[in-house]
Amino acid sequence: MKTTNYVLTGLGGQGILFMTKILATTALNKGYNILGAETHGMAQRGGSVVSHLRIGDARSSLIRAGAADFLLSMDESEAYRYLPYLKKGGKLFANASSKLFPDKRVAAYFEKNEIKSMAMEASGKAMELGSPKSTNLAMVAFYAAFGYGPLKADDLRATVDNMSPGPFKEKNLRIFDLCYETGRQMV
Amino acid sequence: MKQEFLLGNGAIALGLLEAGCQIMTSYPGTPSSEILPEVVRFSKAASLNTSIEWSVNEKVAFDNAFAAAISGKRAACCMKMVGLNVAADSFMSSAYIGNIGGLVIISCDDPGPHSSQTEQDSRLMARLAKVPVLDPGSPEEAREMIKFAFDLSEEFQVPVLVRPAIRICHARQNIKYGVLENNLTQADFKREPTRWASTPKFRFVQHKALNEKHLKISERFNSLSPFNMHTLEKGKSYPFGIVTAGVPSSVVQDMFEEYKRAEIPVLKLGAPYPFPEKLADEFMDACDKVLVIEETDTVIEYMLRDKHKTLGRLTGHVPMEGELVPEKIEGILNKALLDCKLSALSDFDCGQQAFELVGGLSLPIRKPTLCPGCPHRASFYSIRKALPKAIFPSDIGCYTLGSNLGVVDTVLDMGAGITMASGFWNAYIQDGVKKSIVATMGDSTFFHSGTTGLINAVYNNSRFILVILDNHITAMTGMQPSITQSDRVDGSKGNAIALETIVKGCGVDYIKVVDPFDTKNMIRTVKDAAQYVDDPDGGIAVIISRHPCVIGFRDLAIPEKIKVYISDECNDCGFCLTRFECPALYRDKETEKTRINEVLCVECGVCLQICPQDAIKRV
Repeated sequence: MKTTNYVLTGLGGQGILFMTKILATTALNKGYNILGAETHGMAQRGGSVVSHLRIGDARSSLIRAGAADFLLSMDESEAYRYLPYLKKGGKLFANASSKLFPDKRVAAYFEKNEIKSMAMEASGKAMELGSPKSTNLAMVAFYAAFGYGPLKADDLRATVDNMSPGPFKEKNLRIFDLCYETGRQMV
Repeated sequence: MKQEFLLGNGAIALGLLEAGCQIMTSYPGTPSSEILPEVVRFSKAASLNTSIEWSVNEKVAFDNAFAAAISGKRAACCMKMVGLNVAADSFMSSAYIGNIGGLVIISCDDPGPHSSQTEQDSRLMARLAKVPVLDPGSPEEAREMIKFAFDLSEEFQVPVLVRPAIRICHARQNIKYGVLENNLTQADFKREPTRWASTPKFRFVQHKALNEKHLKISERFNSLSPFNMHTLEKGKSYPFGIVTAGVPSSVVQDMFEEYKRAEIPVLKLGAPYPFPEKLADEFMDACDKVLVIEETDTVIEYMLRDKHKTLGRLTGHVPMEGELVPEKIEGILNKALLDCKLSALSDFDCGQQAFELVGGLSLPIRKPTLCPGCPHRASFYSIRKALPKAIFPSDIGCYTLGSNLGVVDTVLDMGAGITMASGFWNAYIQDGVKKSIVATMGDSTFFHSGTTGLINAVYNNSRFILVILDNHITAMTGMQPSITQSDRVDGSKGNAIALETIVKGCGVDYIKVVDPFDTKNMIRTVKDAAQYVDDPDGGIAVIISRHPCVIGFRDLAIPEKIKVYISDECNDCGFCLTRFECPALYRDKETEKTRINEVLCVECGVCLQICPQDAIKRV
């Protein structure tokens, strides 16, 4: 199959690796091969964190600039920082205000490169639901709402269901469902 | 068969156990740190009796593994590439002596560098030691190479180095595996002093034998598919070919597939040393020009004989430093192809335009910082407050980030916090100047390389303050247990060793233990220590600044949650932002006032002690 490339970004502590795991597990359950690249060590202390995930039969783990199908960012600035990774026609999902995102200078670049960007205040949603650490789940659900790529919303939701420990299951699924709905309204 | 989305270091761990590795030693260091814990996990799940230890340093790890290997067991030790410098003495010597059971050394490289002080290429260390080396291109290949490395090591009685680069270690791949079984080989050391304790006369003989082994291994490496292989068609000649290895070899293969350029032949050298001369000659003979893409240094490029045909670092086609990320490789390939009058893969600018656009957005610079609630921050704050004009030699660990707080002047290598402190003292005292010096070093680093320097400094009459930042853990590399606690990597109990005992044993008489969360007391203690250092009857003063790591021991580190807010008395002087630099303190963009980020704040309450206006208040 053709490789689908995801770049996931945010800040240290936002749960990028868990977010990667949700996408990867979903892909694995569908029988796809997966390859990813993570940030560890000194680079992880408070800085910008990036995780690459390739679904398909790639050999090398890093996605090159201009080759990502999807960029999911849990932070507005990090969404800008990693936008060179998006390919022509790529899709960006950002944790940002849908009214203010993207910046005008970036909007022109997006238009020229046929990049579609979608924004939702995921951390605000997660906070409202009393779980600020679940911004990552909110972003996965938001991505799922648009139906792009090989990972489907039902399968992603099932992974969240399976991977959430007992006491968090209900809350996590509620966040997923709510952010999925928010996304659906934008489609 | 089970399947897991496994870290590259997990795939390496799997390879080790599948090969029947019985003894496994390591010292943590990015990007190698997860190998040993993954060996523990797989070993426990399969109820194997693998002997697994975090050693005090890499040299200790190496020697332990070596002894097991000459007793007939399969042994491995792993480390980051600069760790191999620490073990270099043993590594070089072991190549001459050789082994009985397989001995595999895994040295993980960090091109970039992302988390290291150099970008050194471990393949050069292998060459220096005359040890065969393997360079995997994917986690799955790393796993296969480990198994081959043990077989090779046993057949030729020579240690074998495997050097996965960071993109192998910290890649993840879905990997299937079956049942793991114990290797039942018993220890059986056969005394043979002329070999195991050989004198220079026998060393010459051993060196000769090693060189003879090399010829045979080089021959073996000529036909070692899929590690070493080329895609030439017999009898065909080509205007251009690629010689590549390791991580870049996978990138090149992916790119040729994507851009449908299968007509460009590739020579992959995953086992580059001893150099497979015949295989390389075959490839060079068939191509008019070859481009060498390898990480991080010019190992293969130097070993290719016909320099008129090669493009690479020596011709300026490949950068001499930095990681060869895929967009960089695309640019290198495009330029080389055009230089050889062939069509490029793409007209893509490697993201240059987009990177320039991003550069113009003045995004926040996100430099690494100490975590909210980190005890090191409190220690550094107090040290600077007590002795602002001192020289601050420091060391390797999370606390290297004390540079943001102006309390880390030098970082050389593991242990140099102390040895450079005595060096600075000597340099100044020669001129009659008693320079104030405060060295900082973590507990794990002190055990790794601190004691020899401290003994040396005491013996030679140096004077400085050493602050040992004891957070009970090796934090930077991912929370490995410290020797100050008794926990071993497999969950069993070892014997904890108290820092006080060692420091006393090194000949230091002034030892004070403080909790850095009490900044007033720590400032007072540092000043008191400075007086002792200055006193003609004094000496070296050691302060053990003891508080558990906030990530490793959350409850112990924050025994009482202290919620704080910033009151109207704040005059926004910025002192807390620059001198304390807690990520939970920030300046609000709109109001330009200092605020607390409640998501990040861990409620340690230390900031209550540092505001010059007392404007930070307890809720």
